[in-house]
Amino acid sequence: MRKDELKEDLNQRFERVLEKVQKAPRYTGGEMNTAVKGWDECPLHFGFCFPDTYEVGMSHLGLKILYGLINRENWSLCERFFMPWTDMMALMEEEQLPLLSMESRHPLNEFDVVGFTLQYEMSFSNILAMLKMGGIPVEGKDRGENDPIVVAGGPCAFNPEPLADFIDAFMIGDGEDVMTELNRVILERKEKGMSREACLRNLAKLEGVYVPSLYDVEYNADGTVASVTPNCPEAPAAVRKRVVTDLNSTYYPEEFPVPYTEVIFDRIMLEIMRGCTRGCRFCQAGILYRPVRERSLEKLIKLAEKLQSSTGYEEISLSSLSSGDYSCLPELIRELMRRMKDKRVSISLPSLRIDSVLKESLEETQQVKKTSLTFAPEAGTQRMRDVINKGVTEEDLLGKVRDAFEGGWSSVKLYFMSGLPTETTEDLDGIADLAQKVIAEYFNVPKPQRAKGLRVTVSVSVFVPKPFTPFQWAAQDTVEAVIAKQEHLKQVLNIKGVTFHWHEPYVSYLEACFARGDRRMGAVLKRAWEKGCILDGWNETFRYDLWMEAFRECGLDPAFYANRERPKEEILPWDHIDSGVTKQFLWREKEKSERAETTKDCRKGCNGCGLQRWKGVCAYANAGSV
Amino acid sequence: MRMLAVFEKGERIRHIGHLDIQRSVQRGLRRSGLPVAYSNGFNPHILITFASALSTGACGKREIMDVTMAEDVSSEEFLDRMNKAMPPEMQLSEARPLDQKHPALMASLRAAEYDLLIRDPGQAGKLTAAIPAMMAKETVPAMRKTKTALKECDIKPLIYELKGEGQHILATLVLTEREACKPGMLIEALSREAGIEGEEVRMLITRTALLGMDENDRLVPLETL
Ligand code: SF4
Repeated sequence: MRKDELKEDLNQRFERVLEKVQKAPRYTGGEMNTAVKGWDECPLHFGFCFPDTYEVGMSHLGLKILYGLINRENWSLCERFFMPWTDMMALMEEEQLPLLSMESRHPLNEFDVVGFTLQYEMSFSNILAMLKMGGIPVEGKDRGENDPIVVAGGPCAFNPEPLADFIDAFMIGDGEDVMTELNRVILERKEKGMSREACLRNLAKLEGVYVPSLYDVEYNADGTVASVTPNCPEAPAAVRKRVVTDLNSTYYPEEFPVPYTEVIFDRIMLEIMRGCTRGCRFCQAGILYRPVRERSLEKLIKLAEKLQSSTGYEEISLSSLSSGDYSCLPELIRELMRRMKDKRVSISLPSLRIDSVLKESLEETQQVKKTSLTFAPEAGTQRMRDVINKGVTEEDLLGKVRDAFEGGWSSVKLYFMSGLPTETTEDLDGIADLAQKVIAEYFNVPKPQRAKGLRVTVSVSVFVPKPFTPFQWAAQDTVEAVIAKQEHLKQVLNIKGVTFHWHEPYVSYLEACFARGDRRMGAVLKRAWEKGCILDGWNETFRYDLWMEAFRECGLDPAFYANRERPKEEILPWDHIDSGVTKQFLWREKEKSERAETTKDCRKGCNGCGLQRWKGVCAYANAGSV
Repeated sequence: MRMLAVFEKGERIRHIGHLDIQRSVQRGLRRSGLPVAYSNGFNPHILITFASALSTGACGKREIMDVTMAEDVSSEEFLDRMNKAMPPEMQLSEARPLDQKHPALMASLRAAEYDLLIRDPGQAGKLTAAIPAMMAKETVPAMRKTKTALKECDIKPLIYELKGEGQHILATLVLTEREACKPGMLIEALSREAGIEGEEVRMLITRTALLGMDENDRLVPLETL
């Protein structure tokens, strides 16, 4: 068959599958603001893979940024791929259909670069599945000269080791600059017919790029890492993360693809700042995205207006790790409200910090729409909050809750974690106490003044120790301990008006294994996937039993990764990745946490996390004392 | 003022359901910057109605919406701005101001024209051949899906016109607020007549026009009334 006949045949078979599959719109594309660039006019083809379903992927801001960024260049084109649901996978197999792009329906292996975004560990098996469906050898070592270069970035790339067998190159840190640099190197390979090996070595020369095959890992007899050594001159001993220093001059899309169907976050996301200065000790993002960088008010207003008119969305949400800390938040909200009122656009603050938003801006939010308010005290007692350096007191929280109830809200969500280091029953009971006090605040508001229908939702997740946090050495609770704690919580939270949500303990256990896993976890991942593990982030498809079988067959113990307290001297599998924050700082923080000693917000003075060593990177480091 | 507009639901997006099409049109209107009127109240929405919901899986050539504008705009401007604001699969072909007193589109709807592309040429031949025999019958029983059950009904009086053309079956079928003959019901009855009952008939459904009745009791495109 000729090339266009082949394409037509592929199309026909795909159409046949679409008639049978559930939720066909998640596979059909053609959405507003999606790229229709000519395949042949662009020399470089980038396949952007989100290793989860369409609805999850299309809610993700990073996808929108990189999609726009790559398509903006006249020499590169970016098309999207998502993880098909199980029914689609079966139908595709029946029709022998490869994974096709949403835009031009080209198979994944026809792209020059295939890029995965790593947002959470439980999407890892989907990466293997997508590569396989896309006709690309799953392991890097099996890829030939005609196969695409497979790259990955995102928060999970900071511990790339469990994926080292499958990903050719990782991008560590902010993606905006390195993405284009990486594409240029791969374009050069294509134009000059450079070998795969030479291309990977060139990639390793880019700042922020880690090519795992250029490093040898040795292990001690006890299974811990003995050394990680570069095996060629291009590979640096430590890979330093990329940092975009000025958000105002950094690319931000002025249009987003607008899905036809409803996705999880179906609205304009306005990233007002990156990074967080609070220093919560469990929070990986708080370290990875350091330092804090703000977008200017003027820039944000301009972006909001452009995005509103290019998407038609009804809602704008301000996105950042800690929006309440944005220095001109009240002005920003007031200005956005003023300009968006006639367009009937509401403004929402998703990660509202309980200690940071002014009552005034609360009142302004409801002018347009009253959604449920979210608070994240994270722990039930002051001692525990000090251990994790969550600088929030009970009075703070209750004060904000009172304001909210007086302001007409009646629905409050409270987020907690259980299994934090040093946790006792008292800390668990504290969660219930806090919920009771929140309810009492509601009833303290005079009846005619408060909104009807009090709803308090308490969500308790299982703590997962993450790399690059002060708790990176900590042991996770065993599954048995987690279940016992959840049983206890169920009892104490059996309160009228309270809904209690908890997390699947088995998923958190596996998440902990991958979060702090080494290269050997790659074998477990591959084995589990071969046994049928996919879509592990979904209850209906998660197969704990198969995962445990895979561990056994690979001769590895999950407890070694999840439940073992690691000593100070141990070489951690991610030690050769430089997040900018030093191991000494993290250890210092760990020791302080054991004494329930807090560390101040670094806007109030630099805490010497390590980033101050990088010239001109952290604005607060330069101003404050070290 | 009210604006009537004719738009397409393209083949690529035929699996999108009616609610999502409605939302997409609303977002298109918001992108266009046209002065649309909003409802009052807590969750303001654009004042818009659609002549008829198009089922999931079907394409539409001339679907019709009726939008209330807050200010007067010309048809040209409406078309121009909307076509810049809508995805390629949902372009508009016509717009025309409506009198404030113009009856609701749904109330004037009488029938719809369909083009059913039968994917299998063999089946298409058999189905086309069975048309005369079926149309000669007094009654043509078919199963109608209600919310709770399947109900038998007679679709003979619901068929205005039916003919075959190559791989296409062209049909004009009753479509009102109260009753309708869906293409699926028609093909099921025709399959029985053609002796291929129970076989899966793969087809591409395109609704090519929505029809109303003029003063001479003739079916005419709804948008011309
Ligand atoms: S360098 Fe200092 S101010 Fe900057 S993030 Fe680190 S501790 Fe905070």
